[in-house]
Amino acid sequence: MIKIENLKKSFRTEEVETLALNSVNLKVEGGEFVAIMGPSGCGKSTLLNIIGMLDNPNEGYYYFNDQEVGGLKENQRTKIRKGNLGFVFQSFNLIDELTVFENVELPLIYLNMKKSEREQKVKKVLERMKIAHREKHFPQQLSGGQQQRVAIARAVVTNAKLILADEPTGNLDSKNGIEVMNLLTELNQEGTTIVMVTHSDRDSHYAHRVINLFDGQIVTESQNKPFEVNA
Amino acid sequence: MFKNHLKIAWRTIKNEKLFTFIKIGGLAIGIAACVLIALFIQDELSYDQHIVEKDNVFRVYSEGVYDGDKERVTWFQAPFAKALKTDFPEIEKSGRYLTSELFGAGNKQLRIEGEIQNYFESNFIFADQELLELFEIPFVEGKIENALSEPATIVISQDKADKYFPNGNAVGNTLILDNDTNKPYKITGVMKNTSAKSHFDYDFIITMEGRDFYPGENENWRATNYYTYIKINDQTNVQQLEQKLLSVVEKYLIPIEQENGNADDIKYLKSLQYKLQPVHEIHLRSRGIQDGLKHSDIRFTWLFAAIAGFILILACINFINLSTAKSANRAKEVGLRKTIGAFRHNLVSQFLVESILFSLGSFVIGIGLAWLLLPMFNSVASKSLFIPWDQWWFILIMVASSLFIGFLAGLYPAYYLSSFKPIQVLKGSLSIGSKSGKLRSGLVIFQFTTSIVLIISTLVIHQQMDFILNKELGYSKDQVLVVKGTSTLGDEVENFKDQLLQLPEVKHVTISEYLPIEGTKRNTNQFWEDGKRETTIGGQIWRVDHDYLKTLGIKLKEGRDFSLDFASDSIENVIINQTLVTKLGLKDPIGKIITNGRPKTVIGVVEDFHLNNLKEDITPLVMAVGNSQGIISVKLSSAQIDSALSSIAAVWQTKVPNQSFRYTFLDQDFALMHEDVQRIGKIFNAFAFLAILVACLGLFALSAFMVEQRKKEISIRVVLGASFRSIYKLLTINFLKLIFVAVLISIPIAWYMMSRWLEDFAYRMSIGWELFVEGAIIALLIAIFTISYQSIGAALIKPLKSLRTE
Repeated sequence: MIKIENLKKSFRTEEVETLALNSVNLKVEGGEFVAIMGPSGCGKSTLLNIIGMLDNPNEGYYYFNDQEVGGLKENQRTKIRKGNLGFVFQSFNLIDELTVFENVELPLIYLNMKKSEREQKVKKVLERMKIAHREKHFPQQLSGGQQQRVAIARAVVTNAKLILADEPTGNLDSKNGIEVMNLLTELNQEGTTIVMVTHSDRDSHYAHRVINLFDGQIVTESQNKPFEVNA
Repeated sequence: MFKNHLKIAWRTIKNEKLFTFIKIGGLAIGIAACVLIALFIQDELSYDQHIVEKDNVFRVYSEGVYDGDKERVTWFQAPFAKALKTDFPEIEKSGRYLTSELFGAGNKQLRIEGEIQNYFESNFIFADQELLELFEIPFVEGKIENALSEPATIVISQDKADKYFPNGNAVGNTLILDNDTNKPYKITGVMKNTSAKSHFDYDFIITMEGRDFYPGENENWRATNYYTYIKINDQTNVQQLEQKLLSVVEKYLIPIEQENGNADDIKYLKSLQYKLQPVHEIHLRSRGIQDGLKHSDIRFTWLFAAIAGFILILACINFINLSTAKSANRAKEVGLRKTIGAFRHNLVSQFLVESILFSLGSFVIGIGLAWLLLPMFNSVASKSLFIPWDQWWFILIMVASSLFIGFLAGLYPAYYLSSFKPIQVLKGSLSIGSKSGKLRSGLVIFQFTTSIVLIISTLVIHQQMDFILNKELGYSKDQVLVVKGTSTLGDEVENFKDQLLQLPEVKHVTISEYLPIEGTKRNTNQFWEDGKRETTIGGQIWRVDHDYLKTLGIKLKEGRDFSLDFASDSIENVIINQTLVTKLGLKDPIGKIITNGRPKTVIGVVEDFHLNNLKEDITPLVMAVGNSQGIISVKLSSAQIDSALSSIAAVWQTKVPNQSFRYTFLDQDFALMHEDVQRIGKIFNAFAFLAILVACLGLFALSAFMVEQRKKEISIRVVLGASFRSIYKLLTINFLKLIFVAVLISIPIAWYMMSRWLEDFAYRMSIGWELFVEGAIIALLIAIFTISYQSIGAALIKPLKSLRTE
């Protein structure tokens, strides 16, 4: 699903150029659950953003489903992202002015889906995320765990093939954190590919594979044994 | 998707009450100003537009060089109109009218034949039948054809018909004017009341058919008393016709002057050009044309339009500034929407929907506001405007304008907001709101420049008005009562004067045809020193009585006042003004003989006094004693105006019991003469107020935004020991710098604009630097006051509270 070759990304400020990613090579197969780890500033989030087509690399190639997408313009990237990719952020990033239902509905609106179909899909995913009873609430009225469940609902409502999660449990207590990780694992078991950036060793154990980044380079890669979902 | 946009827009409005209020409120104010001005302009532009053949109907005016000055005049000789029609086949119709009080136009006593009660009416004129046809005046009773073709006929307005003949059937009745039962007038038509505006607006039109105001008038090519209008056929080229009209000068005018041998007059005639002014341009484009009519000036019409437009732009600027400033709140939303699949155009349309929604709301409120303010505006502008609710085009224009304004104000914010890169927003690396900081500063400067220009202009206009009202006029206008309608006194007039002089409250009384205010008669004569025909000077001759100078407090420079002791004072002696002395180059003027054909001896010279409004120069003047029934002016001796008034009224009633006693005060008449200046002053006042209000709303919101944005920084500073003063200064100084720049830009603009305006006045104040300082201080104080509300609040911040919530 994802093939990255010799990827380089640097950030330039007025005085210095920082190399965030240096010759990264990475392959992720469909249905995999990959965790990216590493200390702060090692380039994890940069890598995730490029995979998520929110950013372009300076050098190298990025094939998404065998299509080179590293050099595409914003509009073209948006086109591919729509419906294929879902995002889950540490800080949830829900739109404060929209209700739970409306937040989840939004990606479907941009897919020009019919209203009746949208309602059906949103209801289904909210029930699945056990948040249906809160569909009329605004994000500020929810707990962190609930907000992140809404965010996951929004990520999967389009039946996205790939979910990119940036420290999804970072702002949650351990109980809610485990709940979120269980949800992601469930999704993965149903066939969704997941790439997750995390600081947490515990969370990394949910992944099939852990990639360690240091100073913009992949330093180690290890396989985990399949993880049992906690009831 | 559209519904989703509306939803977000509505919730943003609900959450951001202050900013919404300022965005919508400011726009509503701008829209109200524009609606009012648009109604005003529509009204001004509508004059004489109802005349179907308006493109073929013209007023004739002449342009000639007189005393070195170019003069444009609209009065012509009695036979002029007829000669035009006879001599030029292009001219289909020609008509005249006459408004001179000397010949009985203006005010009259009116009664229906067979009744006793007289009523006072004004607005009488004399006109030709063809004039009615030229103006296509609609009739509600009678027929326009032949309405004034017979002698002793009169046409009246619907208002007056309703007043005197409430049951209809005015036509066929007979009116007696000024008690003259020998000349009854038969009503032949009633002019319909319409909403259409015209420069030609009279209640009583008396026919000119079969009438000579003096023997041989209709063959007299010297006296010019008539407004003359023509209608040309479709094929006529106006410029060519203007050239051809010059043959009138050669054929009729020059031969007469050659007979008289007056070289100056012939020179004037040779400089003469005839011009044709389209009838629908008379109301707005008659600047510099002498016609004695009250009309508007196209320059002010567009100036007001420009200012209203500016106020709307200021409000749009608030909209843009607040939208971009508050972008931090929307950035996350933009980033997210893009992340989950929104294209930029989706977002642009979302923000445009939002701004159009704002604009629609503002229009609803703005039109409501205009409706509320309309009565006030009408009184300031002397109009009777109304909002045309029932007109489809009004609704259409309003909806279209609100879409347009919403689009205009929303376009930049939409592009700005939708440009956020999701990666930057989500990473938090976007320094929101700062990118557009320079633009915002520029727009604030623009807003305040506009406001300060208006403030300074208002100050200048008011100061000029003060200057006019307090100027040393050369006569005393205080406590002078002007009695109106004195023609009904007839032979009793001298007796009335004597009786008034018996009253303890009365100091002096004078009977004259002339007062140094507008609306009293004027004439033109040629004077030269006896035996020096080569220097002739144009001037007026005023018939006054022996008490004229005393009553008006006009100062003698040399010589003596008129006196009953000298019989010759009533026959050949005159008093002249200083301007005439200078222009004729008279040395030792007392005893000199001057003449306008009839020799007069100068017995006195008065110091120059203003003969008219202050837009006009003081012109040469000759005063001679003469019988007249025109105007009685009474100088009161005390401040007990009320008792003086009732005493004079009592005397009046003994003389003419059927007549109400009407009067004005000379100082009020003088102020009235400058009503246009006062009106412009009031309109500028209102505009300046609105502009500064809108600008301050914006400034208030911007300072609120800035404080919100810097809350954390301020808290840290306070923790580190910053004083109240230093925080206040920190938050205020940047805004004040902007206002200061605005002051610098606005001064030359205001100076230029106001210098041009003052050029209209022959007598004007000089614009001193104090005015600019005053304007700048007003703007600065208002700005400081506006910003301080936020800055003080911020400087009193409880640091722990805001730091904890970080």
